[in-house]
Amino acid sequence: MTKTKKPASFPSPDLVRAVLKGHSGLGLAFAALLYLVCLTGAIAVFANEFYRWENPDAERMESISADAVQTAYREAMARTAGAVEHVLILMPSDDRPWPTLRVDAEDGTRTTWIANSAGRLTGEMRESWTHFLTRLHINLHLPQSWGIFIVGLSGVALLSSLISGVLAHPRIFRDAFHLRLGGSRRLQEADLHNRLGVWALPFHLTVSLTGALLGLSTVIIGAIGLAVFQGDTAKVYAIFTPPQAAEDTRPAPPFDLRPLFASVAQRAPGERITYLIVEHPTEQGAAAMFEVESSASRIANSDVYAFDRAGTLYYQQQAAQTNVGQQILGSLGPLHFGWFGGGIVKIAYALLGLGLTYLAAGGVNIWLARRRDKGQPAPGWERVWAATVWGQPLALAAAALAASFGPVASLPIWTWAAVSLAALGAAGLLSPASLSRIGRAGSGSLLIVLGIGHLVFFGAHDSMALIVNGSLGLIGLGLLALSVRGSKGASAAVQMA
Amino acid sequence: MSDAGFLAAIVAIIAGSFAGAWSLRRAWRLKEGKARWRWMGLALLGMTLLWPAWIIGEARGPFVAVTLLSVMVLVVIASGYTLRPARAGRAAREGLAPEPAERAPSAWRTTLRWSLAGPIGMVAAMGLGISYAVWAPGAIQTRLLIGGLIVPLAWGGAMAWTLADSRILRATAVLMGTAIVGFGAAMLKGLT
Repeated sequence: MTKTKKPASFPSPDLVRAVLKGHSGLGLAFAALLYLVCLTGAIAVFANEFYRWENPDAERMESISADAVQTAYREAMARTAGAVEHVLILMPSDDRPWPTLRVDAEDGTRTTWIANSAGRLTGEMRESWTHFLTRLHINLHLPQSWGIFIVGLSGVALLSSLISGVLAHPRIFRDAFHLRLGGSRRLQEADLHNRLGVWALPFHLTVSLTGALLGLSTVIIGAIGLAVFQGDTAKVYAIFTPPQAAEDTRPAPPFDLRPLFASVAQRAPGERITYLIVEHPTEQGAAAMFEVESSASRIANSDVYAFDRAGTLYYQQQAAQTNVGQQILGSLGPLHFGWFGGGIVKIAYALLGLGLTYLAAGGVNIWLARRRDKGQPAPGWERVWAATVWGQPLALAAAALAASFGPVASLPIWTWAAVSLAALGAAGLLSPASLSRIGRAGSGSLLIVLGIGHLVFFGAHDSMALIVNGSLGLIGLGLLALSVRGSKGASAAVQMA
Repeated sequence: MSDAGFLAAIVAIIAGSFAGAWSLRRAWRLKEGKARWRWMGLALLGMTLLWPAWIIGEARGPFVAVTLLSVMVLVVIASGYTLRPARAGRAAREGLAPEPAERAPSAWRTTLRWSLAGPIGMVAAMGLGISYAVWAPGAIQTRLLIGGLIVPLAWGGAMAWTLADSRILRATAVLMGTAIVGFGAAMLKGLT
């Protein structure tokens, strides 16, 4: 009788071990960056809700008339010292039910106003917290090009970890529904890491791929320009952006938008204008581009109409007639931030984003538990990691408090940096358990104070502000409960020892 | 699509995802007779991913479905967790992944490996993406966007490969060759 040779399984144990080595090294190298980017991304899903929370007294409306927009736009320009480059007018929407007008002056200053339904400016838009949060996610508050590239690089590292993570998971089907909590810390962390990693894989791939492409776009466009356009990147951008109206810098009275609104309403009856950009409004070469939400069921469903000063339509693009590339381009942002399926998809994105954040944190926890299992614990790294993981919620909560009640726009950045550094400094003095407990209790307390303080100082004129304050309070209570449970667990462990 | 219709579609996606995940978990738990539950689960999940394309939108529908499906499967998993006693720690090793491979420490190999995973992998991936944009058929925006998507995917793949492969010179040759051929091919034709 001859022995039949068993076919080699894929992936082989050697391949799994080699891939695990790379997965582990990459995860450790990028863990802190991934954790920060994923955590801020999960929260930034609700950017529009935070804008409403920061401006609860703004008058809410379903739509605004062309006359009111014209009044608000003229008033915003009148309040700007010097020449105006662009005016971006965001129309009321379900997510943000009030109009805003951002005026970019020639000297580089930028002011965003909120208008009421009569077109009167009611004040500057408060956006300290939302701006701080979204910029931390997009470019880490570093110089724009470097920050965006680093975040894009973290997207590539995440993609790579997803590929190696799947290859390094030979028990993917055998353990498909296992969630074993308690007992071995390493097994518990591995179960959480693997279940979250595998079952939310489409989400992880979507956000990492779109994030990486958005982050690397400047470098990719630079490389394309270098390779095929003799370094002229403007030619690459021109492939995607609407053409500019003929330049004419002679002064002129402010561009009248009302006939353009009428023209858009005629071309797209019953459809909602999402925003318009007015270029060089006080020059003869002024132009205005309208983006209109079409009835197409695509993720990128905007029609575009561009007019020159004479009111002539010089460019239009219909969502229904765009090619695959234009659809992908228009879908990148909504797919990355979860802004394509209403509130339920946003909540799902935030939950899955927190899962991804846990994936980044849990990978390091597995490595630390493995070191302990092998009799080579790394107590210093355990403290640093606990300070990083629980220092960030604390730093973000403190930044939100500073943004809400602080007088200076840059205060949230400094607060966040100071608390993050203090947490890392505390890692030299405190145990991981204490750091976790303090981080949870501190974050929980700050969130409760923030929710109550916001309600007291800003009132409850907008139901969204109430929902955000209520959510902050509940999350705060949850973190406090976790902290109390953690301290009870720690005292029990001390008693047992 | 009306708000009520959209809400009804969301409820149906959630129900289909939950039922599919529950059926699959039942199949996973059973010792015998698991095939019919497995097929039922796979069919339910497959249908839940497909029908929203017609109802909600050809791209929007499946993305809404896959997002909610992931959440619902995780809910099903969380609902079936097992709590192990503290002393179970030592007996848990059979459930763990194997240990990562050990490599002899070498400064130049480590430097080369991370250079391959980083800048060299990036240049090679860009070469691939740009040569796709230049040579592939189709509208220029489509070629550029797909080429752009190839860059992070190829770079991520290169990272995973070079950090795992012990034959580092082979990885060096392949990535440098890809970069040279990719950029060379792109420059040869130019973007039209």
